[in-house]
Amino acid sequence: MKASEQPLRLSSAESRTALSGSLLLTFRELWAMRLTQGIVLVSTLAWIMLSFALNLDVVEGSISALRIFGVGSLPQEMVKDAATGEWVRQAMSVDAFVISISSFVFGAAYFLGTLLGLFATMPLIGGFLEQGRIDLMISKPVSRSGLLTGHLLGVWLTVLALATYLIGAVWIAISIKTGVWLPVMLLSIPLIVVMFGVMYSVILCVSIMTRSNGLALILTYGLIFISAILAAHEQLVPVLSPSALFIFKTFYHVFPNFVEVVMIQSKLLSGEAVASWYPFFSSILFGSVIYGLGYYWFNRRDF
Amino acid sequence: MKAPMSISAITTEGLAKTYTSAFGRKQIHALKGIDLNVAPGEIVGILGPNGAGKTTLLKILLGIVSPTAGSATLMGRPIGEVAARRKLGYLPENHRFPPYLTARQTLDVYGRLSHLDSDYRKLHIPRLVEEAGLSSWIDTRVGKFSKGMMQRLGLAQALLNDPDILVLDEPTDGVDPVGRREIRDRLRDLRAKGKTILINSHLLTEIELICDRVAIMNFGEIVRTGSVLEISSEGTGWRIQCRNVPVNLDLEAFHTHREGSALSVDADAEHTLLLDVGVAEALNALIDHLRAHQVQILSVERHRRSLEAGFLDIIDQQTAKS
Repeated sequence: MKASEQPLRLSSAESRTALSGSLLLTFRELWAMRLTQGIVLVSTLAWIMLSFALNLDVVEGSISALRIFGVGSLPQEMVKDAATGEWVRQAMSVDAFVISISSFVFGAAYFLGTLLGLFATMPLIGGFLEQGRIDLMISKPVSRSGLLTGHLLGVWLTVLALATYLIGAVWIAISIKTGVWLPVMLLSIPLIVVMFGVMYSVILCVSIMTRSNGLALILTYGLIFISAILAAHEQLVPVLSPSALFIFKTFYHVFPNFVEVVMIQSKLLSGEAVASWYPFFSSILFGSVIYGLGYYWFNRRDF
Repeated sequence: MKAPMSISAITTEGLAKTYTSAFGRKQIHALKGIDLNVAPGEIVGILGPNGAGKTTLLKILLGIVSPTAGSATLMGRPIGEVAARRKLGYLPENHRFPPYLTARQTLDVYGRLSHLDSDYRKLHIPRLVEEAGLSSWIDTRVGKFSKGMMQRLGLAQALLNDPDILVLDEPTDGVDPVGRREIRDRLRDLRAKGKTILINSHLLTEIELICDRVAIMNFGEIVRTGSVLEISSEGTGWRIQCRNVPVNLDLEAFHTHREGSALSVDADAEHTLLLDVGVAEALNALIDHLRAHQVQILSVERHRRSLEAGFLDIIDQQTAKS
């Protein structure tokens, strides 16, 4: 077939092969960075500890004794006495214990996982955009969007696999140990992946626009810090002046509500009704817009 | 499959690129209307000083940089089309292969990006690595490779999809003389197979040995194209070797007295005359004059300089004009 007679569009099989190349490159780089091995190791330690080092004695639905590596403890919780209306301390129920452990694991995975993950993946996008590598990839018969999609899919799928391993293994270990199966804990997995994806959009877009990974990371961490302030909107809104309130509300609606999403998951775990999913969906909207900008710049810029 | 001869392998028309700084305060005209045609099976060298626009031209052809104006085609396909790069091989200057990949994995990844299926990759990757002289390093991480080995692996990568057009940016950079000769031989083999090769190199001796034609760029323009012979012969004269030149034969009339030129006659019985350039008609007149005086002409040959001398002369002239 003459070159000019070759089809204009790539077949789906060809596109899949090219996508697999971009994905493979991302997976291998993440593996080479030792980050994935580190997270797998920590996750493995977590579920091994919960499986073998944690022993519970349960009497009538409450924990009568708890031992970690043989060291005893008696977890307690504050409950409101129905008769007197006073708060009293009593042995923690197994349900409350599972919720506490789940919340802790989710919080650790969410904050530490995301912060470390963003820090660790920063060189990844730097390497992807490196002169001498990106120009060679662009010279291949792959669209720029296809290349970027392969990179992003590689990052997201790795985060999904790591979050699933950590949360899933801990969930199974706790559930077997306590007999309390709390499937809502598994919602932590998509929450972590989606919110990591939202914050990674900033790393990606800023890196493409400025080629400065450091700036990209600073801005991303800055947004996480701002989201901690925005999470206190119920306390802050009444005390703000009209002009400050306008700025605060603008930030609240525009920026990702990274910290507030933790509260959504906490409520889900404890069985409380979630008043609003707005922080989660507005964050997704933010991420979508930033990814759109990233794709736009990646397709336009010269390398 | 070799493209039909009627289609130029590479065509550019009025290709221009202007880089604009932030807020448009400063503009750099990297390319100013490049017209270039490369026929299938031709090896063309792009020469020019730093900043002449050579790499920008190559990057535009490869879709890495967008042109500000003009158009270009590869095998008749507009460069903007992804499909135009199906049968294209590229070796960038200072390419960076991920250091954690082995040579086999590197070619596998880039093979996938070129849509090569698994069977093809399994068959051709070991062959290309062997041809690059890296067989014993095939499962070694490229982070441990020397510059020369990286360059040979880079060439293997560029040849992976059996390209019709090969674009090489400084292909012999960092390669030792033996490796350079191997690359030269490889490129000659590829030419014999009808591949079109575009080379950007500062090593003019390499260009001289490989290329059919060169395009000299300066300040974003192509200032001269021609065969290596044409470029290296430009501004020089003819060397006429003859016998039995009469002592009183007047040759001064044929001397144009241009700066740096000379018409010399050896005192020996076998004389060598050096006639100034720019007087092709005078060469014939001189031959007639010599023959009229029964001078025996043994040989007439174009006096050649090195390509480098010719290139520098053209660049100096062009820079002086600018």
